[in-house]
Amino acid sequence: MSNILENPHGNCALGGANAAFTAVKRVIPIFHSGPGCCMQTTAGETSQGSIRLPYYVQYTSIPCTNMTERDVVLGGVGKLDKHVAAALEILDADALFILTGCTAGIIGDDTESVAKKYRAMGHKVYAVNSAGFLGESCRGYEIAIKAFLDNIVEPNPKKRDERLVNLLGIMPFHDPYWEGNLEEITRLLRLLGLKVNTFFSHDQGLKEIKSSSSASLNIILSPWLLKSASEEYQRRFGIPSLRFAGAPLGATDTGVFLRRVGEFFGIGDRAERVIRSEEKYLYRYLETGIGLQNWRRFSVVGESQNVVAITRFLANDYSFTPDAAVITDVVFRPDDRARIEESLRSLEYAKPPEIFFTGDQWEINRIIEKFPETMLLIGSTNEHEIAIKLGLQFFIASYPNTERLIYNRPCAGYRGALTFFEDIYSNL
Amino acid sequence: MSKNYSGIREQRRDTDTYTDWGGGSLEAGEKYPKNCLGRADRIFSQGLQCQQINSVMALLSVDDAAFVVHSPLGCAGCCSMANDWFRVGQLHRGNYGLRNARIIVTNLDEKDVILGGEEKLKKAVRTACERYAPKLIFIFTSCASAIIGDDIEAAVSELQRETDSVIVPLHCEGFKSKICASGYDAAFLAMTKYILRGAKRGETEPDLLNLFAPPTVSYHDRLEIERILGDIGIRVNYIPFYSSLEKIRKIPSARASTAICKVFADEFMKELKDEYGISYSHTIMPIGTRNTDKWLLGVAALFDKTEEARGYIAAEREKIRPLMDGLRERLSGKRVFITGGTGRSFAAAALIDDFGMRLVGMQTPVYDDDAQIDIEYLNALYGNFVVDVANMMPFEQVNLLSKLKPDVFIGIPVWAAKLGIPTTHVLDIKRPTMGYRNLVYLGNKIACQTENPGYNKKIAEYARLPYKKSWYEENAFKYIQK
Repeated sequence: MSNILENPHGNCALGGANAAFTAVKRVIPIFHSGPGCCMQTTAGETSQGSIRLPYYVQYTSIPCTNMTERDVVLGGVGKLDKHVAAALEILDADALFILTGCTAGIIGDDTESVAKKYRAMGHKVYAVNSAGFLGESCRGYEIAIKAFLDNIVEPNPKKRDERLVNLLGIMPFHDPYWEGNLEEITRLLRLLGLKVNTFFSHDQGLKEIKSSSSASLNIILSPWLLKSASEEYQRRFGIPSLRFAGAPLGATDTGVFLRRVGEFFGIGDRAERVIRSEEKYLYRYLETGIGLQNWRRFSVVGESQNVVAITRFLANDYSFTPDAAVITDVVFRPDDRARIEESLRSLEYAKPPEIFFTGDQWEINRIIEKFPETMLLIGSTNEHEIAIKLGLQFFIASYPNTERLIYNRPCAGYRGALTFFEDIYSNL
Repeated sequence: MSKNYSGIREQRRDTDTYTDWGGGSLEAGEKYPKNCLGRADRIFSQGLQCQQINSVMALLSVDDAAFVVHSPLGCAGCCSMANDWFRVGQLHRGNYGLRNARIIVTNLDEKDVILGGEEKLKKAVRTACERYAPKLIFIFTSCASAIIGDDIEAAVSELQRETDSVIVPLHCEGFKSKICASGYDAAFLAMTKYILRGAKRGETEPDLLNLFAPPTVSYHDRLEIERILGDIGIRVNYIPFYSSLEKIRKIPSARASTAICKVFADEFMKELKDEYGISYSHTIMPIGTRNTDKWLLGVAALFDKTEEARGYIAAEREKIRPLMDGLRERLSGKRVFITGGTGRSFAAAALIDDFGMRLVGMQTPVYDDDAQIDIEYLNALYGNFVVDVANMMPFEQVNLLSKLKPDVFIGIPVWAAKLGIPTTHVLDIKRPTMGYRNLVYLGNKIACQTENPGYNKKIAEYARLPYKKSWYEENAFKYIQK
């Protein structure tokens, strides 16, 4: 059962799903929902990671049936049918995904029957059960990937592409650094000679989602997201997954990442050359910054993949000392929690942080207060208040973010290490 | 209002209310009084704003309050946005502590939808009490909590016995209204029922004005409004914008009431008139000289200060005249398209006359008696222009813009900018727009953005709108079906 939450660090399943669909090139969601869900999910999810918005539809431009009392009583399938018919006339899209909100979900409107009717006429129209009450943003992201697997991914791939990987587990628009991270990790994988499907960054769309079944490997950059999807890729297409607890940040973890991928493809030597050259680039800058940033004790609040990546990076690569690691996403499965804890405890030299699992703001603030020696707090806009109250240096690296506009800045790889150092620099 | 008003704006008895219509302004002005506008609905539409968003926005800056959102997490999305306004509002006021609004979401899930969410609601309210002992706890319902039939009132009466915090439930479920301003009414209905609770009139403070304002008023605007009213000896009790339980309780002791926005507290002010004999002024949003004059004279009359206000207005206008002359020179003759909320859109449509600009089209979410008054004024000013009764409906907007080719677009710029049209905004929650002094800032902003359209022109080469080319050839109102 889900808990009540103060100042939640997540939106609903519909919000997470919408963020994912609107990040795919030329894909348009149609909300079969009450009249506020387009605004709520854009204001509360897509625009609260990096502040910017999806390019194609957003806020009040998302098509929506705006269900009212009459539809609640009589059902809204007829209204949806008309909306889809009109959408096909007006909208220039490669596919339409009907997303259900709570209202349609509770009254049980059969959206699939509408989608089926238009598919039979040759249109790419799909129905997705994405009612908000099904879960949080993360659940919405998983619902979107599952919808791709059910409807878009090529069910019978002709042959395996030996150099193609699917890069998954970074939630578009929800993670403030999602696109910069996809770009940086893609850049590194290309240096290994690989081709990368990300589904979500600029030029990727249905074509890449479709071809994902012919990839040789799934790389999942999250400690727990997409467990079922990775099993489905394995079962249906024989594609294995390499899972990392977060997008690797800095020389230590990015080196491990590239070695493991290199090992999988039998190109270990090439991986070593890439690592060497990237590290030279990174450390050429870092040596011009020696002694500029004083040592800090730090705590990180955020979603598991961000907390893992940032804590490990600052501890292993910058010799900072971790105090608290607060995981705000809901991690149900014990083995997932164990994976997160293991990643946070296996630091090279540093003493590991204390680990907490809560997304409740009041509890988070009490945790931060328990560490009087913390000097640097990395979190979301929600943690800014406690940082000010305790006089901590503060930096935003997690959802929700209403303070920093982020386009392509990464928080991953080698380039991300440099921008991260730039961001936490303080001469105070 | 509480006696015979449901809080749903479509159901107001003293006016017709249309939400889906498109045509010429002369046609609208002629047909509306004859009841000939015609009931219609859109068979294709884009997302509206639900009333719960307005309820939350209206109240989130109230001091010493906690907010319980009885919904899945998504319906607290607007809280996160409103929390940003609240935090920036604190900064502008010199409060650098940046306190978060205390928002507790019941996080309704699949199980709750089946078994009911009342226990979680109670837990959320009790948690708010334990953590913050707030003076006020507002509860916002949602589509989900309403459809599953949670008994909010029963829960509230049980909880109210346990705590000194005043618990104020708002019935603001989104599906009940297509007009988001209904959410404002839900807030005032709840305030009447749970806070004022038939409080006595008390001793009238003869210089005190209840000024009802939504949170979309910037701090600069607040200062300007207080300056103007202060200069003619009127003190302001701002409700519910950065107000408090004490200030809300003070409502019955004010001499008169008015609002910043025409769709804000309009029904509530009628109630205050009926209940307490507090007279009110219902004019127009104070942006632009004519509107500010009208708004101020409306208030002044309630305080027997009409003559003083006239003199004051003349002096204020004189002070900004040289700057206004300069702006008029820069903007005169420009053709304008406006989109915005009901209050802003009509006020902005009149405002541009200050700069000698011409209205070619506007979108407004509602057409009712109030709209008719404004349309008649605007028709006399500009002649015929396009009226799209729509809460943005960007597909209709870009269709109209591509045909009308205005020199300036005023409103949320996301879509117009992609057509390369210079855009500017009068709904600036964080910057000045209202009164006399701020008009100069606003005029400068419009002029500068019009004269320097490089960003939009360049981005239009690359930016993508999601519509087929054929759509731009169609009648913009094709999907409004009678």
